[in-house]
Amino acid sequence: MSELVVTDLVAGYGDARVLHGLSFIVAPGEICAILGPNGAGKTTLLRALSGMVRGRGSVRLGGTELTGRSPDAIARRGVAHVPEGRGTFMPLTVEENLRLGAYVRRRRTGVDADLDRIYTYFPALKSRLRQTAGSLSGGEQRMLAIGRALMLRPRLLLLDEPSLGLAPLITRELFRIVRAINEQERTTVVVVEQNAHLALGIAQQAHVLETGRIVLSGTAEQIRADEQVAQSYLGYRV
Amino acid sequence: MSESAEATGSPVTKESGGRAARRWRVPVHWRPLVIAALLVLACSAPFQLVPFRVFQFTMVLIYAVALLGLNLLVGHAGQISLGHGAFFAVGAYSAAIMLHAWDAPYPATLPVAAAVAFTLGLALGVPAVRLRGLYLALVTMAIAIFLGPLLKRFESVTGGPMGLTLAKPEPPAWTGLAEDQWLYFLTLAVAVVAFLVTGSLLRSRVGRALHAIRDDQAAAEVMGVRLSFYKTLSFAWSAMLAGIAGCLYTWVIGYVSPDSFGVTLSITLLAGLVVGGLGSFWGPLLGGLFVMFVPSISQSVNDAAPGVVFGLLIIAVMYVAPTGLAGLAGRAAYSIKKTLRKE
Amino acid sequence: MAGFLQQVVEGLGAGAIYASLALALVLIYQFTGIVNFAQGELAMFSTYLAWQFTAAGLPFWLALVITLVVSFAGGMLIERVIIRPVEGAPELTVVIVTVGLFIFVNAAAGWIWSFLIKDFPNPFPEGALTAGGVSVGYSTLGILGVVGVVMGLLYLLFQHTKIGLGMRAVASNPGSARLVGIRVGWTLALGWGLAATVGAVSGVLVAPLLFLDPNLMGGVLIYAFAAATLGGFDSPVGAVVGGLIVGVAETLAGAYVGFIGSDLKIGVPLVIILVVLLLRPRGLFGRAVVERV
Repeated sequence: MSELVVTDLVAGYGDARVLHGLSFIVAPGEICAILGPNGAGKTTLLRALSGMVRGRGSVRLGGTELTGRSPDAIARRGVAHVPEGRGTFMPLTVEENLRLGAYVRRRRTGVDADLDRIYTYFPALKSRLRQTAGSLSGGEQRMLAIGRALMLRPRLLLLDEPSLGLAPLITRELFRIVRAINEQERTTVVVVEQNAHLALGIAQQAHVLETGRIVLSGTAEQIRADEQVAQSYLGYRV
Repeated sequence: MSESAEATGSPVTKESGGRAARRWRVPVHWRPLVIAALLVLACSAPFQLVPFRVFQFTMVLIYAVALLGLNLLVGHAGQISLGHGAFFAVGAYSAAIMLHAWDAPYPATLPVAAAVAFTLGLALGVPAVRLRGLYLALVTMAIAIFLGPLLKRFESVTGGPMGLTLAKPEPPAWTGLAEDQWLYFLTLAVAVVAFLVTGSLLRSRVGRALHAIRDDQAAAEVMGVRLSFYKTLSFAWSAMLAGIAGCLYTWVIGYVSPDSFGVTLSITLLAGLVVGGLGSFWGPLLGGLFVMFVPSISQSVNDAAPGVVFGLLIIAVMYVAPTGLAGLAGRAAYSIKKTLRKE
Repeated sequence: MAGFLQQVVEGLGAGAIYASLALALVLIYQFTGIVNFAQGELAMFSTYLAWQFTAAGLPFWLALVITLVVSFAGGMLIERVIIRPVEGAPELTVVIVTVGLFIFVNAAAGWIWSFLIKDFPNPFPEGALTAGGVSVGYSTLGILGVVGVVMGLLYLLFQHTKIGLGMRAVASNPGSARLVGIRVGWTLALGWGLAATVGAVSGVLVAPLLFLDPNLMGGVLIYAFAAATLGGFDSPVGAVVGGLIVGVAETLAGAYVGFIGSDLKIGVPLVIILVVLLLRPRGLFGRAVVERV
């Protein structure tokens, strides 16, 4: 359980600035949804949080400053980032992928127990332990990526578009699992999602991003209730 | 990943490449003046220098012609060749065999050497352009390594390991020139023509197509650049220039042997070009100076010194100045001008 | 028939040496996508180190161990110092840097040890094992054995250790490897260290057969290229199989194709490289890659 405090976060690629000073707080054990149209900077925000993109400003997790550190150093401090798309190690087996999730854990104890825990979340993975990750379906790969992230025993879990390219049924299942993980492990979660309805269904609070700025913040209920917001930013009618 | 997508791109990162190109544009207005001054200097030099120096500058010009070809391929089209010494050797041997076996008049050897090298470049270029950069480097290096044993094998034609010794072109009496001066002017004339023709080729749509291929192959293809045509053409043209340089080499040295054209020559050529400046106008000339004088100066320290100097310089150049000496000069000129303007 | 088998055995002996240098090339290619043109020269330098240690009176096997350790450290150092600044740079830049390294290391060895050839001690006894009309030199057996051991150790490292797993992760997806907390930079250095070590083995094995001089590995490198191309540049198993095939093909071509003879044997790897690249660019065991053209 760690509190995430983001202050004046500025980030971008080369000369192109994408994030123009974001500030928000995610309470320990909460799920925070980041919503907004394409190109708003949602993915860049997660990348800045995990160190894949260099940011300025301050990102503190449970009091530890993360900005300026490399992605692997940030991972060692308990941040697990499930990137958009596959992000798995294709030629490696499912089990190897999962064990890599626990790479930074010093002690080997508990790794096997954690594997079993992942299988209870994602039973589909258990039957495919010896298969290569590349042979899995898109949905299974997404599950594998999340399972691998959990093997880190993260203090902060970053999920980028978990629903992208998945069938609605699978997506709903995935979000149910994310919710269950959050409740059982008390992991703080930041989820970026196009499908605002789904994301708001599991989040406690949400921020709406537009062109690199937070244009609206509130509890999930508040955001959902705001019909105008729903239409202009989220692109659907409530 | 975006990083790897650029992997086949230009030797300089796009960003810095663009910047370097903009900086380089400033002295371009001066280029005709500089060229004229250099030509005057080049024409008067052989009357001021001792024959050995004249010979050395002849060699500089020969290397410059070869590097001009290599620059077209590596600097402008972004393809790596570690085997240009092979085309150099083909040109040299074509001329030598014509002179030795058929007693051909030496002016006839130049077009033949050029044609043979061009044809060979074309023949190798067809499969070669299908290869990704890395593999092209590999194949060309293998060709350079293979050539030596091949030359030694066909002893009856090539003279085998002993090579062929030939008479050098005699200066016509009306010129009143000594042999070294005559060879120098012949080489200078060929070099000037080679620079002019290749320069205008690069300014034409061919040059633009090559740059497009170098900077982003996929985008170039989308824009309608016929990749394989231009890549094959640049390969063949660059082989031809190396062949021409080889022919000049045969005239000037009067001796060819397989060991003169080992893989070391190929690597030295690449090294000279990198240090001189990839993709730059003056790069081949500066590289030629480099290939000629660095070994002869540093050899006095140790036999291995040229290699040590070359190796370190190549790496250093790739770090700090991917556009080589020419780029550095261009940048210096730019910043001097900028400072002057400020005052 | 016995004569043919004899040639095959000799080909395998030569092939094992190509295999070990090809293995070194593959180790680096896997992690970085770089073909290290200086690999052979690094191996040559390591071989000189081994020679230096034996010349100083150390027993051969001790000299070898020290050489391997030094090579490992040297390989890591080279990655950190020389390759690191061009990591992620365009392919042309990286190739030119390794070519620069090639020239430098070759010349440095010439500077330190001169270009005169030296005798390198053969660690294996003279003589041969004869069976069914085929005689297998102890030296050939030794080479095959050493390469087999190196392969086995690498297999254990990659398949059964945590570091090996991390290395494979980096090879398959450096971005995700960072996200699980692997120090990718150090893993790349580790890859260079391993490659330098494996390369050193190939140098030490080939030196007693040829003579030791700074151009020791120039010829071997091209065979290793052919082996790695044939096996697939991203497959360690492929490198070894490719090496053995290239060795046998070369020996047989030299023995039975009159036109090739012993002079033109060096054309065999060239032909293999060209044919593989044109017909099956990923090699026998390589993963299908999307050509980034």
